Amino acid sequence: MKKLIALTLALAMCLSLVSFSAFADDTVKITILVDGTIPDQNNGRDAFEARWEELHPGFDLEIWQPDHSAYYTDMQQRMVSGNYPDVLILSSTYYADFARNGVLWDMTEAWENSKTKNSGRFTGDNVFEGLKIDGKLYGFAPTRGNGCVTYVKKAWLDAVGMEAPKTFDDYIKMCEAFVNNDPDGNGQADTYAISAAGFIGNEAPFINYLPEFYQDAYPYFVQQEDGTWIDGFLTDTMKAALERLRDAYAKGLIDPDTLTNSTAQARTKFYDDKFGVFTYWAGTWATNLKTNLEANGRSGELIALPPLEGVPAYFDRVPPVWAITNKCANPQLVFDTFIDTMLDGGDCQMLFTYGPENVYYSFEGGFHMLENLEKAGTNYTKFHIDPMLALASFAEGYYDPKEESVLPEAKAASALFNENSRLASIVPATEVMGEYNGQLTTLKNEMVANVIMGVKTYDQALADFQAAGGDIFSAAIVESLNALN
Amino acid sequence: MAKQKKIEQYITPAGKVVSGPPHLNAPKSPYEPFHFVNGIIFILVCLIILVPIWKILVDSLDLTTGSGMRLFPAKFGFDGYVSIFSDKSLLQPLGISFLTTISGTFLGLLLSTIGAYVLIQWDMPGRTLLGNILMFTMIFSGGTIPTYIVLNNLHLVNTIWVVILMPAINVYNLVLMRNFFEGIPASLFESANLDGCTPWQTFYKIALPLSKAALASIGLMFAVAYWNDYTNYRLYASDRNLYNLQMKLRDMIASSDQPSAVGGATENTIKNAVIITAILPFMILYPFLQKYFVKGINIGAVKE
Amino acid sequence: MQKQAKVINNKKPLGPRIRKYWQFYLLFIPVLAFVIIFHYLPMYGIVYGFTEYKVGMTPKFVGLDQFRKLFGIVASDASEATKMLAARKSQPFWLAFQNTIVFSVIKLLLNTGFAVIISIFLNEMISTKFKKVTQTIIYLPHFMSWVVTASVFTLLLAVGQSGLVNNLRRSVGLEAVNFLAEPGQWKIWYYIINVWRETGWQTIIFMATLTSIDPGLYEAAAMDGAGRWKKMQYVTFPALGNTIITVLILNLAKIMNLFESVFVLQNDAVRNATNVLQTLVYYEAFNSGAVPDLGYSVAIGLFRSIVGLVLMLICNYASKKVRGRGIM
Repeated sequence: MKKLIALTLALAMCLSLVSFSAFADDTVKITILVDGTIPDQNNGRDAFEARWEELHPGFDLEIWQPDHSAYYTDMQQRMVSGNYPDVLILSSTYYADFARNGVLWDMTEAWENSKTKNSGRFTGDNVFEGLKIDGKLYGFAPTRGNGCVTYVKKAWLDAVGMEAPKTFDDYIKMCEAFVNNDPDGNGQADTYAISAAGFIGNEAPFINYLPEFYQDAYPYFVQQEDGTWIDGFLTDTMKAALERLRDAYAKGLIDPDTLTNSTAQARTKFYDDKFGVFTYWAGTWATNLKTNLEANGRSGELIALPPLEGVPAYFDRVPPVWAITNKCANPQLVFDTFIDTMLDGGDCQMLFTYGPENVYYSFEGGFHMLENLEKAGTNYTKFHIDPMLALASFAEGYYDPKEESVLPEAKAASALFNENSRLASIVPATEVMGEYNGQLTTLKNEMVANVIMGVKTYDQALADFQAAGGDIFSAAIVESLNALN
Repeated sequence: MAKQKKIEQYITPAGKVVSGPPHLNAPKSPYEPFHFVNGIIFILVCLIILVPIWKILVDSLDLTTGSGMRLFPAKFGFDGYVSIFSDKSLLQPLGISFLTTISGTFLGLLLSTIGAYVLIQWDMPGRTLLGNILMFTMIFSGGTIPTYIVLNNLHLVNTIWVVILMPAINVYNLVLMRNFFEGIPASLFESANLDGCTPWQTFYKIALPLSKAALASIGLMFAVAYWNDYTNYRLYASDRNLYNLQMKLRDMIASSDQPSAVGGATENTIKNAVIITAILPFMILYPFLQKYFVKGINIGAVKE
Repeated sequence: MQKQAKVINNKKPLGPRIRKYWQFYLLFIPVLAFVIIFHYLPMYGIVYGFTEYKVGMTPKFVGLDQFRKLFGIVASDASEATKMLAARKSQPFWLAFQNTIVFSVIKLLLNTGFAVIISIFLNEMISTKFKKVTQTIIYLPHFMSWVVTASVFTLLLAVGQSGLVNNLRRSVGLEAVNFLAEPGQWKIWYYIINVWRETGWQTIIFMATLTSIDPGLYEAAAMDGAGRWKKMQYVTFPALGNTIITVLILNLAKIMNLFESVFVLQNDAVRNATNVLQTLVYYEAFNSGAVPDLGYSVAIGLFRSIVGLVLMLICNYASKKVRGRGIM
């Protein structure tokens, strides 16, 4: 009964608000808060806005775009001051937390009835399943999250006379050859097989960078088949993974400066031929690695490695989402107008993917991307949606410029990744987790570094981990997660 | 007590007739071994300081990507700088940087000197209270979000005013300035007072002219703070149209990570060229400021 | 002299004294206005330290809970497990607190010490051209952001071929050391890098002090037959003393703000041992898997402020004892 009254009240409120705004003004304003993944004013944002409004007559789009690096600070400031947008972009952590705390509008039903989902072009049902929190959907992802694949330098394989490895043993043999057989041919023993920015990633899915060694180990909380949670860090698979890494490190296969490398430093070393196996982003990065190697006068040919035998697929990150806030006056209308048209297979999807015409691309003399407004000499590659990651194709008969706009090596790496990836899942945030997980992660990472670099044995490191409270933090969090079930 | 001693020291030479160039550091013979050793030490200090910077400079002029130390670029070229300066949207941030730095430094110096001048009026009732009111802000702060809300209510958020006005009040610099004013003999102020000067006249006729080195150094500290300001922009004025050079350069570094950065310069070249570009204006400007640092002012001469 | 003047003035009633200084009060108004607008008005934010406050939610008053969380204090009737959790949780807090003070104080003393020495010797330099060049060079590191500084130094300290320092060690037959992976070594290099970056810039203020010394003082000393060292001892050092003390005390106020320099140089292997308060809080929030609670960070800010205040009061007291007056 109570629910019914609440519902009627809510409906009445919505209706009155709609009619109010309809009477007050002919146009309905939609405010969106976006980070740097929507290009800014200097990169055709105004043209985008004009084109969007042209495609949605009767609507006025207002874009709030703080500096990319201060996005969440700015969001907090705005919300504290009472300036809620209708729609905002959220990373998976903020998404999960906001959803749980009732900041977001539940779009489960709207999604089920949406044009996008029922278009027959939509391929992301599994991604959206992964976005559900307690069975409810609060956000919309136009793309998959993307992840890393392992690239091997073809020239180095040729130099040591080897094929791309298929098993872990082959992989280690290849790494040994990369260290011992002078793959760069400069006559000096100055190469490593592998380098990365840290032994373990600092955000989910953590084991991005050294997947061949981590294999089925996962250092975070995992929900098992029966619904209960465990901490993957304290399992035997993790121990085995750390031992594999320790052995490879002791053999000198892994760059000893992996601990302190930044991602930029790891890339720089790769371009400078200091190592030959690099696990990095799939898609457009394949092109970037290639061009940078070639700029250095080296062969840019890279082989994207499918997962080794017995090694699970690469991890696909949880993508950032578009969500509607619960302060939005008419969420259903905003959903239909703004969100449900983003992947409409037609003009609007074209706008979100390739940007406004004659600013980002032109059909004059055949489709081509135009020169970057800010950076002379480079061309735009996309607007907001990466065409290789989009969760819906264009409608049949609609011209899709993917062939012209995406370079072959990027397409190949992307295709390989799509075939060989599994979805990372959202781990719900509990209060206990908020309290202890930060400290727990520091302890885990310290243990990982010390074991791999041979500073401590696994057992010593584990004892120190426990002495600092790692095991009880872990147990408390697992307990709090299980309590959610 | 120490105070008293110091003032006596000042007064003693003031009574003497000063003749000839007053700079006592000028040695009788320029070839004293002390100066030789001193020179060598500073050459070493400079070398140590320059090693890491050299790495950045070399990388900014190198079209290949070197991961280690190189003495000289492997493939020399200015493409990194070309790609920065061919950016059409660099001019406005540069203009904003100059505007805020010049006006901010002026305002900052004004507030610091006035504040410092009031705070050396030892007998002024409430002087310590006013001083403590300032000091308190060095320790306690409301945090960025309340600050944002206050600025928002004052309609300062996302305006150029916030980045000019906010850093202008700097208690640290104000106290240092006061420290310099203290060095001016109280007798000078007293005699100005007897001559019928108003506090304001005493301020710009006595206090300011006698503090040139202090004004130059604190002015430089203000200028550099304004020039390097990034935090205030990021938090309170992150609108693209208000970008200063630092924001723009950081934006460039972030986007040089993007796969679109091709052409003559690699991602690494651009990044390092950006870092050097940010220092350039200072290196050009500093030698002009330097003259204020070399001359001591003979108080005795001023008094006569 | 001033003390005498003060005694005389104190005999006058307050009213005339305030009237005498009315123009000065007027002059101070703009300064006060700036401080009030940009510093005092936002201070109401301190109340958030007593709330739980996340983005999108209304703040909830929780009393001293945030501070209890910080110090690991639990109710006495709590279960053993809860007590254990709280005790383990607060371990890194106290270590980080200790690190904050130790790192800052050593850093402050080293930087100021070197800056004073460099200023004095720079002041003795005869060739103005050489002096100009030297000054420009030693100021340069200040213009490198901490991120850039860290990336260059991790390169110089690397174990691999790019590591200049380890290459030197190898060339004299020593073994390479992974400097940044071991807490003890890390701390040494932390101080070295800080001295590299900040000392030059700190000389500005000391150079200004040195150049405003009345040359007449040196003349008088020379007439008394003082050599270079005597002149330094009797003229240069006393003049610098006041500035040194001011700089030290002013920096004490900021001692608890230590963050970026530590943050950019840390890595997984040393983080636990080298965390300072601010980095600890950062990682607690960043790795928590949850949205940060504003209330908690304000509470920590408040704690830092109080520690800063206490340190400053102590030094102010010491300064009063030693040189007859405090900082204000």
